[in-house]
Amino acid sequence: MDLSDSALDHLRYVAALPDLTGTRYELESEIGRGGMGVVYAARDRQLDRRVALKVLDFAMVGEAQLIARLEHPAVVPVYETGTLADGRQFYAMKLVSGARLDRHLAEQPTLTERLRVIRRVGEALAFAHSHGIIHRDLKPQNVMVGPFGEVYVMDWGVDAVAGTPAFRAPDDRLDQRSDIYALGALLNFSLPAPTPALRAIVTKAMRADPAARYPDVPALLADIERFELGLAIEAWSEPLWHKLRRFGSRNAVVLWLIAAYTLVKFLLFFLRKF
Amino acid sequence: MDSDTDIGGPHDQFPSTQVSLLEATAAGLSSEALDRVIALYWKPVYRFIRLKFQKNNEDAKDLTQGFFAAALQRDFFTRFDPAKASFRTYLRMAVERFAASQYAAANRQKRGGDIQFETVGDQAVATESPEQAFEREWQRQLFSLALDDLRAHCDDCGKQLQFRVFQAYDLADAERPSYAELAVRHGIPETSVTNYLAWARRMLREFVTERLRGTTSGAQELRVEMRRVWT
Repeated sequence: MDLSDSALDHLRYVAALPDLTGTRYELESEIGRGGMGVVYAARDRQLDRRVALKVLDFAMVGEAQLIARLEHPAVVPVYETGTLADGRQFYAMKLVSGARLDRHLAEQPTLTERLRVIRRVGEALAFAHSHGIIHRDLKPQNVMVGPFGEVYVMDWGVDAVAGTPAFRAPDDRLDQRSDIYALGALLNFSLPAPTPALRAIVTKAMRADPAARYPDVPALLADIERFELGLAIEAWSEPLWHKLRRFGSRNAVVLWLIAAYTLVKFLLFFLRKF
Repeated sequence: MDSDTDIGGPHDQFPSTQVSLLEATAAGLSSEALDRVIALYWKPVYRFIRLKFQKNNEDAKDLTQGFFAAALQRDFFTRFDPAKASFRTYLRMAVERFAASQYAAANRQKRGGDIQFETVGDQAVATESPEQAFEREWQRQLFSLALDDLRAHCDDCGKQLQFRVFQAYDLADAERPSYAELAVRHGIPETSVTNYLAWARRMLREFVTERLRGTTSGAQELRVEMRRVWT
């Protein structure tokens, strides 16, 4: 049977659509493609609400269960798992509105906001790691920032995902340190002009040798927090002038008060003398 | 096979009849397994040779025929290593080497290298590379074979009406009829049109997967090839 280009494209499209016969969902539209399958917006007829339906290219027995175990504000909750009439597995999850991190960053948020998002992502990772789960494919496209500032980490990986080159650690075997590398890459991506301290955090997180990276995500987050508080970070032994400048900016009020006091005392000394 | 994966989901409603290429090769590569490969790749190879080496119709046919004949004689299938490339890429590169060596041999015979490649009619208007044309032709052939399988399956199990509805809608080159028009034309309720189409598409997907299963090295390559087909 000879097929024209248009007929071929149509067949590829319709045969790939999920067959929702026998489920409670009605297909609305495709909203994205992840490492393991396609995500559609769908309507749950029973509960009359919109959901995100991820249809996996091939059956991954553990993926949905794995994500369902992660009950965390920054992990999209899974509502249900199932098998379509065509044999593909799917899971329904909360339909998140908002912008992907790369688009969110295009709106030029402040440094504080950029670091806030990274910290939220890091907290989700740390939570997952404490449950023995690693992400494997952390990148801007897998982070959503909602209209009220909520942050979601999506597309939690399974063994078949190889990662995205710019964010993938050069490790033979992916583990928690590989996620730390990706978080460092994400921090680097989020900062158009990082300060030396932030650059040092990125460098430490992205070391080629996993053992030279932060030992865990909380250690990386602690360094970011220290930076925000104006404290010395672990990743960088700063030069003396930088220490003084940081001390100055951190104690500006006290220093100004001391300077004012010294000036007044100095003036009083001269007024009394003359 | 991965322990936690199962391509296409559980096959309880459509048991797989195909073994992977590696399994087939290990078992001595039956003529049926070879036929599957040649059925899927003859046209893509022919098209690739025409565009890449600017051969006319007859020469391209001869080279294609020659390639498959040589492949069978030279342990082509047993030398395939899935760790290095997909079977599709391995085959295309082998075609390229084969056609280039044939060209060099022909040049030597002419002693002056005065062979002129003929301009292919569609070469002038081609907007895709030979590699892209190979991939496109591979997809076209994959779906054509799966459609043949679907038609045969419908004939076998008395579902000719389902195939006719599917053919009238999904294979229409001109404007597609509405579901209501199809229902009237075939004297069935509109919901049946929806169900028949859903069934036929589901079966088509299964047949595409089966064709791929027989021409890939195993679960990992099948998974990658399925992503190429469906995205």
